[in-house]
Amino acid sequence: MKLKIAIYWGAACGGCDVAILDTHEKLLDIADAADIYLWPIAMDFKHSDVREMEDGFLDAAFFSGAVRNSENEEIARLLRDKSRLMIALGSCAHLGGIPSLANFFTKDEMLKRVYIDSESTVNEEGVLPTEAWSNNGESLELPRFYNTVKALDQVVDVDYYIPGCPPVPLQIFSAFTLIADGMLPPKGSVIGAGDKALCEQCPRKKEEKKITGIKRIQEAVPDDERCLLEQGFLCLGPVTRSGCGARCINSGVPCRGCYGPVDNVPDEGIKMLSALASVIDSKDESEIDRIIETIPAPLKTFQRFSMAASMLRRKKI
Amino acid sequence: MKRIEIDPITRLEGHGKITIFLNDDGEVENAYLQIPELRGFEKFVEGLPVEEIPRVVPRICGV
Repeated sequence: MKLKIAIYWGAACGGCDVAILDTHEKLLDIADAADIYLWPIAMDFKHSDVREMEDGFLDAAFFSGAVRNSENEEIARLLRDKSRLMIALGSCAHLGGIPSLANFFTKDEMLKRVYIDSESTVNEEGVLPTEAWSNNGESLELPRFYNTVKALDQVVDVDYYIPGCPPVPLQIFSAFTLIADGMLPPKGSVIGAGDKALCEQCPRKKEEKKITGIKRIQEAVPDDERCLLEQGFLCLGPVTRSGCGARCINSGVPCRGCYGPVDNVPDEGIKMLSALASVIDSKDESEIDRIIETIPAPLKTFQRFSMAASMLRRKKI
Repeated sequence: MKRIEIDPITRLEGHGKITIFLNDDGEVENAYLQIPELRGFEKFVEGLPVEEIPRVVPRICGV
């Protein structure tokens, strides 16, 4: 029997969908094993088609994107009811991802910047999106825009997580194979990724991690062979789950943690603070302060892909 | 007045909804395209180190 699957997106960029398409000819194997019942980027199904499904009709729903508004949440809940397995696909559904950088601001600050202060917008009357509008018997609705962006498991029960921004296509395929073959690990596991830290897969030479300051990429040219962190470039490799194939590091840029933390680490950002504390080459308090001060925007770097799922979750409002 | 809703519009990157209102003769009175999604990159890139922007804004559209 073929599997019944849905692929959906909340606050997303479509990169996870493209990563599925980037499985290339393996997409034909997915199509052999599964029928797709919802995939907005590629197929013409409507929300109403999902509402009409019986509960538990689907075998697996792959949800990418963060939960940014009430529509994202409504469809997430709907798919949860309709599907035996709920799978968070990609960093946004897994941890909040890039969209959850908005948790440093309030809803009102976001709307004002986008619709009123934006340099390319003419909006003299200061019109903002409203949830309900009506005129001459015509009425329209928009989803409610939340103050706080959420990861998928902050609104529905999630069975498995496929990390990455975007996930590596072959890792999506291997996760799909686990589902198709009924070889899934315990509920709540991260699938389609490694279980060690990225550092252990990194091809760069590691000697002694001792740093006297953080370098920004425009300030120095990194040595192609040596560990980026040892050279002073802030790299989240020590605290990030492997599975990406060290794509960024191999391209000469440090890791920003899109694969999320390894097992049993609730917050990679806090883990990175602790990792950093152990490599700072000084015992002198004021010197340590000086080194720490050289980190630009630490929170937005350590929680680049994980603000929603972090222990802080958002800026206090 | 009859209402036709196309939700979501598909086979594109992003979210969209079209609502069409027909008058009593069955002709289109008004049609609306709504974009029910906003992430707000304009705001949340504020305060990021400039060299990090090229690593963040590709996520505006991953297609």
